[in-house]
Amino acid sequence: MSLLGRQVAVAGIGYSDLSRGDAPDPRMLTLQSCHAAIADAGIAATDIDGIFEYLHADRESPRTMWLQRVLGIPNLNAYADLFATGPSGLGPPMAAVAAVGSGVCEMAIAYRTLPQREGNNGGIAAPPTSLAGPEQFTGVYGHTAGILANYALKKRRRMHEFGTPAQDYGQIALSARRWAALNERAVQRAPLTMEDYLSSRTIIDPLLLLDCDYPVNGSCAVIVTTAERAADLPGTPVLVDAMAWGTGAGADFVFADDLLYGGSIDCSRRIWELSDYTVADLDLAGIYDGFTHLPISWIEALGVCGFGEFGDWVDDGRSIGPGGVLPLNTSGGMLAEGRVQGIGLLAEAVEQLRGDCGARQVPDAHVAVVAGGGSNDCGALVVHSG
Amino acid sequence: MTGPITQPVPKPAPEPDEVSLPYWTAAREGRLVVQRCTSCGKAQFPPDLLCRYCQQPDPPFVGIDGRGTIYTFAIYTRSFSPAFEVPYALALVTLDACPEVRMMTNIVEADLAELAIGDAVEVTFEKRGDWALPQFRPAQGAGA
Repeated sequence: MSLLGRQVAVAGIGYSDLSRGDAPDPRMLTLQSCHAAIADAGIAATDIDGIFEYLHADRESPRTMWLQRVLGIPNLNAYADLFATGPSGLGPPMAAVAAVGSGVCEMAIAYRTLPQREGNNGGIAAPPTSLAGPEQFTGVYGHTAGILANYALKKRRRMHEFGTPAQDYGQIALSARRWAALNERAVQRAPLTMEDYLSSRTIIDPLLLLDCDYPVNGSCAVIVTTAERAADLPGTPVLVDAMAWGTGAGADFVFADDLLYGGSIDCSRRIWELSDYTVADLDLAGIYDGFTHLPISWIEALGVCGFGEFGDWVDDGRSIGPGGVLPLNTSGGMLAEGRVQGIGLLAEAVEQLRGDCGARQVPDAHVAVVAGGGSNDCGALVVHSG
Repeated sequence: MTGPITQPVPKPAPEPDEVSLPYWTAAREGRLVVQRCTSCGKAQFPPDLLCRYCQQPDPPFVGIDGRGTIYTFAIYTRSFSPAFEVPYALALVTLDACPEVRMMTNIVEADLAELAIGDAVEVTFEKRGDWALPQFRPAQGAGA
């Protein structure tokens, strides 16, 4: 606990219903997750003096001011609506940790609300007649559904550079389903075979459908406060040991110096400098699996195994599955529990470290890393049970 | 949902700004240029207000050899935009004369099934509205 002015805890977590096919009001989803997190922490809404959220479109998530108003919170000492920058759903809790740790606020709520329709990148749109700004160097080449193309470009480069077979990517997808089968909240619980993975539809070659996470209507919220304050609450707090953002050199989604790892290497170096723990202490990991490439590159960046060695290390999926050396995304992650862009992995780490995970509980779990982003948008936290 | 596309939809043209205007002007004249810093000697892309390696302002645009190497590529087999007919290859190409420069491009005039990372490519130019885009195609024979 060397980085923060005050010791910080995650004191509560909450989910909305996770669903597909319907179209619930994002405000309702947000209220569900925030009410659940407030109840889980055992606080009153009016104890909250900081609100943080992330959005990447226009209307998918209600803003912090709306939440303040409807919860009857008289004033906020800190808030931010993080727009399409940083480690997406992990951004709000990280901002909350920084705000509480520095003393700017005392009790923050952080949420990510993402309706299924905003989680789809496959819409067909007529292009404008001209493209300005960064798109004059990308969009003019048909860099459409850009995030999908980026992960197709990364996947092919990694396969070339390290001789990675497509099956290595499949291990991430298969493992997500193995864990999701143990998680009643997960939306996609059907088991998956390697044949299913390899024969799934091509999105942008070589990116397959089952490389991509599973869009749902969902919201997830966490309560962040000081460890001192959390100690007086009824629940079991989980403490933040270390936290780091990372962008990498030449930060850019397309033109960054390091296409494969983005800022994850710098972020990992920093978090291990700050942490009281080492990679050997990890009992589980929650790594944003918006695309299967991400956990693979993070596992290497964090030093769990060497660069290019994920395929050997993962041991046909055993290393990351139930009973493995590093259980990964034990909720099923974004690939199978459902896409709330990473904040769910923090909530899951908290549940694991509290010992509340039932059938999917990792025995004696005390230390977890949670990480997200794979380009110039990286962020990570080490959390522990104290 | 929209119905079948009956009118051809034009591909978007670049919209140059104050910084990028020399790049697009050169491309329209069939020349590939990049910014190369007179202080540290490094090239950069996309163009910017200063050299990102040493912060020297206004790095000048210089003509650069149009030979490159495919760094990675992706093939669109379903359309996300009516302007771009599938299949097409979107690639990142490094310039042989300054490997620190990685450009986004299509690989044109190519058998997409035969493309591979490491392939030698060369620049060509595609008219786009009032402007022209640098594009890359497989290098034409040995020593091209």
